[in-house]
Amino acid sequence: MDNKVDNIIGKSKDVTLLELLDRILDKGVIISGDIMISVADVDLIYLGLRVLLSSVETINRLGGAPNMGIMQGPG
Amino acid sequence: MKIYTYGIIDAHDRIRDEAILGLEGARIYTIYYLDIGIVVSELEQQTRYIEDNILEHERVVEKLMEYFTVLPMRFLTVFDRKEDIIQMLKDYYRDFKKNLKRLRNKVEFGVKVIWPGDKVREEIASAYTKQYELPIANNSAGAKFIQEKFKEYKIDKKYEEEANRQIEVIDKFFCEFASEKKLEKHLNKSLLLNAYYLIDKEKQSTFKEGFERLKGAASGFNYLFSGPWPPYNFIILNKKSYSLKA
Repeated sequence: MDNKVDNIIGKSKDVTLLELLDRILDKGVIISGDIMISVADVDLIYLGLRVLLSSVETINRLGGAPNMGIMQGPG
Repeated sequence: MKIYTYGIIDAHDRIRDEAILGLEGARIYTIYYLDIGIVVSELEQQTRYIEDNILEHERVVEKLMEYFTVLPMRFLTVFDRKEDIIQMLKDYYRDFKKNLKRLRNKVEFGVKVIWPGDKVREEIASAYTKQYELPIANNSAGAKFIQEKFKEYKIDKKYEEEANRQIEVIDKFFCEFASEKKLEKHLNKSLLLNAYYLIDKEKQSTFKEGFERLKGAASGFNYLFSGPWPPYNFIILNKKSYSLKA
């Protein structure tokens, strides 16, 4: 287990990309409107799937399925 | 031709347009509405959305972030016409102003904490057996079942307490530097915590030093620290959609 974790952390470029994808794809200023993302819905789905797959792979490697609880507030 | 968007800025934060190139090497420029602006570049319709473009989007936002406060747009936010963008800025104006004020000179850091959850659980189970497990007086299947369930419950509870205690220690440590935070707890047995902290630009180095100190504190823990990021996790929009004029 520890070796696997080390491997994941060792792949800093991949990890950084995952961290970036975690933010850039569904966070930030998200505008919803009729004409949004008019360029390539299909590509977005494709990309989403790829990201999803790699996230699942990471979760599997880390062990277990996610069980999320969110707490938000001032520091 | 489409218009690709990178981030919302204050209008007085004027950029030298030629200094930064966007997706496909296109020149970036700003479209203004009152005292806010949105940084954009023009895009051919057939652009492919690949890893390189994700990195390009982030590169532009981070470049802007060096100079001023930016509300990063989600990747792939594309418009057909300049008028649509102005309508969107108008509709979201109050939200954007509030966020620009709240996030002024702030950056985001991410902290993931990986802990030996399995080992912690084993230790708790073993301590429970030593402390509480009594010989079963009534050897019926029902009694055994109840005792087993009770043991599981006690171990789960103790495990959760231990996880929360560790999270509290870590969070208290980082909280000191942060103006806002977002915590995702107990994501799975290994990923104890996924946290996002909003930090004053000026306090960045103190925050990083703090992390270095924490790293050596508990054995068996791994930390993934990332940042400074644009404040992706701290954008709060109340308006849900905008009206497009025909």
